[in-house]
Amino acid sequence: MTDVLPLAVSFEALTSMGFWLGVGVIAGAYTIFTLGLQLNVGFTGIYNFGQAGFMAVGAYSMAIFVTDTGINFWLALPLSMLITIAFGLIVGLPSLRLRADYFAIATIAASEAIRLTALNARDLTGGAQGIFGFGDSWESLQDTIEGWLMDLGWSDPDTLAPLFIVVWIVAIGLTFLLSRVQGTPWGRVLRAVREDEDAARALGKNAYSYKLQSLAISAALAAIAGFFLAINLAFVIPDEFGPTFTFVGYSMLVLGGLASYWGVAIGAIIFETLLEGLRFIDLPISEVKIAALRFIILGLILIGLMAFRPQGILGKREEMVLGD
Amino acid sequence: MTDPEGTAAAPAAPSGNGAKPIFEAQGVVKRFGGIRAVDGASMRVREGSITALIGPNGAGKTTFFNVITGFYRPDGGGATFEGRPVLGQTPYAIARRGMVRTFQITKALAAMPVIDNMMLAAPNQPGERLVNLIAHPREWRRRETEVHDQAMELLDVFDLSKLADTYAGHLSGGQRKLLELARALMTKPRFLLLDEPMAGINPTLGRRLLEHMQRLRTEAGVTFLFVEHDMEVVMGHSDRVVVMAQGRVIADGKPDEVRTDQAVIDAYLGGG
Repeated sequence: MTDVLPLAVSFEALTSMGFWLGVGVIAGAYTIFTLGLQLNVGFTGIYNFGQAGFMAVGAYSMAIFVTDTGINFWLALPLSMLITIAFGLIVGLPSLRLRADYFAIATIAASEAIRLTALNARDLTGGAQGIFGFGDSWESLQDTIEGWLMDLGWSDPDTLAPLFIVVWIVAIGLTFLLSRVQGTPWGRVLRAVREDEDAARALGKNAYSYKLQSLAISAALAAIAGFFLAINLAFVIPDEFGPTFTFVGYSMLVLGGLASYWGVAIGAIIFETLLEGLRFIDLPISEVKIAALRFIILGLILIGLMAFRPQGILGKREEMVLGD
Repeated sequence: MTDPEGTAAAPAAPSGNGAKPIFEAQGVVKRFGGIRAVDGASMRVREGSITALIGPNGAGKTTFFNVITGFYRPDGGGATFEGRPVLGQTPYAIARRGMVRTFQITKALAAMPVIDNMMLAAPNQPGERLVNLIAHPREWRRRETEVHDQAMELLDVFDLSKLADTYAGHLSGGQRKLLELARALMTKPRFLLLDEPMAGINPTLGRRLLEHMQRLRTEAGVTFLFVEHDMEVVMGHSDRVVVMAQGRVIADGKPDEVRTDQAVIDAYLGGG
């Protein structure tokens, strides 16, 4: 892992394939994660701040299924998604009846409750040490893909190349699928709920049910992102699933533009590229300060974006202005 | 709005007299803390009628609307629509039964195009359920084409077809009122409840709105209940007038009867 997350300041790392593949994997996982936020915030108007918690449920369920119960990895994935959807419904059933701002607080609380449970329920989750050793099935697929890559003429594929390819196939596939669904009558009801819940209800639409569906699908997307994150790290630990993960997802969402699924991928790629690329700023100051400087610069870029392009890169300005 | 021409266009068609009620409310109560905003309101709306609900500011008209359409939970009383109980049901369930409302402050779905506003309202669209998107792709697409045609026809009637692809948020106040009425009609309602449809629009447009109501009543058999502030506006355009004051119904009758009713005069002059 050390060659993926270099602490050394070197130009070599900036051009290293392995490094950027690592960045790409994270950006891909974030894309899937943030697609859920886009569905909730951009298309349904519900402010889900618990996405990292849903991701934790997905990743931990998968890890526990594989390591504790010996269920096959490929079966554990859909099962974990179902469990995460169930969690989404449990969180949403009471809290989606709340006003938008209270819902946001309820979800962040749920997310922290999940993380703290993971930290303390040591028998189940391994506590702070987390869970290892669920990746065998993935590694055999990884070998297969490496074999294909070599057949295609890549003599020595990077170990991260298969994961990079798979995460982006999934991310692009899901983006395409969600965009298609958004254009259907179902998607139209979601947008109506976003615009004005009462108007939607007055026209015979069960707004509450649509908000629940939106949250459940978003939780499923978080679970998928969690699988990739777990595979990438080869372990799951509670620290990975803090609220910061959700906040970074929101930054990508705003950067790419609200109510645009393709904007999510663009936001995630730009954000991650900047965040990781800024590691290589060459200044005569300590590494700790450079690390802090990265976030300052990133923050300034985001503020600049808000000032000059508040709708984000692919967002529609009209929809944003007319929205309220 | 007190023009005599408007009066001339008034009900030539069946006035709904003697017809059975499509809607009936009995002692409806809604409290906010200690205030009884609706305090035992009872009324009937005859099938096929255009009934006006009037009353001075704070009479409880809009609250009454919100209670009977499910937006507020009632604190007492009962109501039936087409003979079956309606009070306490959810707004969407009531709307699906054909009792559809509009809002005092228009709720145009601003960041959606006009055509999407219209198509949204159409009932029986299987594509509004996720499973059907995969299970019955043909059905919902066919319904979508059908609904699109109906929407364009209706927009034509309301002179909004040129604006079909415009965001609803760009429409003028009057156009929004028309859109809201057109959108409500997309649901194929049997009973339309309009909360101050004439508020904030110019008199010409207001008159057209009333003409639309007359025509819909005759052609589609839609029953109307509309809230209005101004007593004069409703006189020429409604067959029945229900008057509310201080949360209660104080008069119910033909426009002429109500106009001369002492309780009504007192209420409007602040006698209550």
